[in-house]
Amino acid sequence: MASVIEARELSKSFGEVTALDRVSLSVGEGALFGLLGPNGSGKTTMIKVLTGQIRPTSGSATVLGIDAEKEGIKVRERVGIIPEQESPPSFLTAMEYLEFVGAVRKIPDIGERAEKWFDLLEFRDKKDVLCKDLSRGTRQKLMFAQAFIHEPVLALIDEPLINLDPIMQDVVKEFLAGYVRKGNTVFLSTHILEVAEDICSGIAILHKGKLLHSGPLADLTARGEHLPEFFLSLVRKGRHA
Amino acid sequence: MPDLFINLVKEEWRTHSTMFGSISFALFPVMIFGIVFMGSFLVPFLSATIPAGDLALLAHAMFLLLGFMVGGFGLLGNEMMNRRFGQASLLVYSARSLPLSERFIFANFVLKDIVYYFFLWVFPFGAGYIAASPFSGVPLSRGLLLLLTLSLAFLLGLCVVFILSSLYVRSRAACLLVVVCSAVAATVFAAWSGTNPALLFPPYLLYTAFSWVALLGTVIAIAAMFAVSVLLFTPESQGSTKTYRNVLGRLARSLSFLPRSPLVAKDLLDLSRSGIGIGQALFSFLIPLVAIWFFLSLLQNSLPPHGLIAIFSLTAGIIASTIYTWVTEFDSFGPYACLPVAVSTLISSKMTTFLLLQVLPAVFIGAVACITGSPGLAGPAIVLCLSISIYAACVMAYLCGLSPSVLVYDVRVLFTYLLLDGVALVLLAALSFANSLYGLLSVFLLVPAYLFARAAGARWDARDPGGL
Repeated sequence: MASVIEARELSKSFGEVTALDRVSLSVGEGALFGLLGPNGSGKTTMIKVLTGQIRPTSGSATVLGIDAEKEGIKVRERVGIIPEQESPPSFLTAMEYLEFVGAVRKIPDIGERAEKWFDLLEFRDKKDVLCKDLSRGTRQKLMFAQAFIHEPVLALIDEPLINLDPIMQDVVKEFLAGYVRKGNTVFLSTHILEVAEDICSGIAILHKGKLLHSGPLADLTARGEHLPEFFLSLVRKGRHA
Repeated sequence: MPDLFINLVKEEWRTHSTMFGSISFALFPVMIFGIVFMGSFLVPFLSATIPAGDLALLAHAMFLLLGFMVGGFGLLGNEMMNRRFGQASLLVYSARSLPLSERFIFANFVLKDIVYYFFLWVFPFGAGYIAASPFSGVPLSRGLLLLLTLSLAFLLGLCVVFILSSLYVRSRAACLLVVVCSAVAATVFAAWSGTNPALLFPPYLLYTAFSWVALLGTVIAIAAMFAVSVLLFTPESQGSTKTYRNVLGRLARSLSFLPRSPLVAKDLLDLSRSGIGIGQALFSFLIPLVAIWFFLSLLQNSLPPHGLIAIFSLTAGIIASTIYTWVTEFDSFGPYACLPVAVSTLISSKMTTFLLLQVLPAVFIGAVACITGSPGLAGPAIVLCLSISIYAACVMAYLCGLSPSVLVYDVRVLFTYLLLDGVALVLLAALSFANSLYGLLSVFLLVPAYLFARAAGARWDARDPGGL
């Protein structure tokens, strides 16, 4: 299985804070890979570095074979991204925002694609409402739609289920499962362990910027371990280390 | 409740200081003090060509303008602050989670702006002048009086914008009516009495002929305007479900002759739908410039023929360059980070929108030239205004990237900005004073402007746009 994400000794510091500390990991094509960790563990920084939004302090990363540091724009052309806590622009309607994304990404049939997403995520009634007037949940749906509307082969998504109701969480999980079945890859950052256990094929656990574990989820299952217990024991050990 | 006020001040401080370090930001008022202290030694020499009264008038006009600008940002800036910092992160929104009324928070917000910007700008200016008074031969009492009257000029500017913007939120038509009626009344008064209304500006009157009664009257007027603006204040409605026709695509297509037209179309929609476009045009451009015109016209006798329109064009150009801040105020890079858009692309799209909006100063300067009986000077005046505006905006883009309204408080940035713009302004003023047609030479400023704009992209692409 070819590797779509390769991080080698990746470090990122913000002043005196080390957000990532020599993290190396590999994600294979067709995986639904979960990046897990407590708040402030470096998950969001990892996604930002992998998508060329910020530069690593040291180390390197390739995404779809592209150098993320030197060619961040090319990476972002090819992948879909849901950033954490970013909202769509306030004064565009939901439909206009998707059209805007389509124009930037040069998607010819953006109107038809947008309609499909309004139906799938059940927010057609909000398509002409300004983004600033949308609920957090609807904004999250919109951000989800913009990440997948160009049908990328790889999506890097940061807490995609946050603010979504249980029914919509189910819709999204089902979509993600189907998406990877088609051979695409998802790199999912979350601290909701049940979600990761439910849908991920591989996981990595970050704590205070250090990689504590990386490997297929099936290995845990084979050992009779459950992800929440495994995660808590690792993180607690890391905390005392 | 002093706690809210104190925390609002802390929040404003941290907004600025976290961007470039507490020490660097703390040096900002020190720099203002230093510039004024040094500049005060020039007053006796300047007085040989420009009457001291005119210099004082200019200083009062400058602080009135500062009040307009601070007020314009504070109130019209809610949306840009939402975009930049996220709604829940600002204390001004604490009415949603704390038992505090919106009106109470607004009153504290206004007080915070008054105190904060007084110590940031007004006090260092006055203190610098006072500190230099033993050496410059200006009596200490005049220095103290100047500090008082400049403070009042600043407060008047602030309160005028607060009251008008509170009215603007309730009824744009009523606000426009008040502004137009005031401008017409001032013009009619000037024509009828032969007296420039700027001479009746209360803080300036106080400076020239101090009386306790006049001081009390001015303070009462300011307090009354402040109280009325708090009473007129309407909290922003939340959660509207108003729907809008989809116009982005059509607008982008009609602008397709421009590079990055979808980004430009988005900027124009932001400005139009938020009301900030009209609000900024009114409070940060038209009202300040009309006031400045009345003040500058008092200097006519100290200026060469046609010097007034030249100096006004240059002033308008500098103010027009702040249109770059209007178009950047909405966006942090965050929402674009998930798209294949580089910071340099965003800067050049903002610059394109800025250039498109330069029609506003062009029309304004053209109209002023015609109204004041110098239609023949309209061409050079427009060229002068637009050249300095574009140049100053490109310098701003180079120094501040997408955050001009925040980074301008970095001492190094402001100093470089003042230096680069100052040299261009002095040269152009000298040329235009020599011959009004020489103002056309200002087009050569577009060469360094282009180079600054190009360098801005490379400079800001090389930096991380976000933090953790």
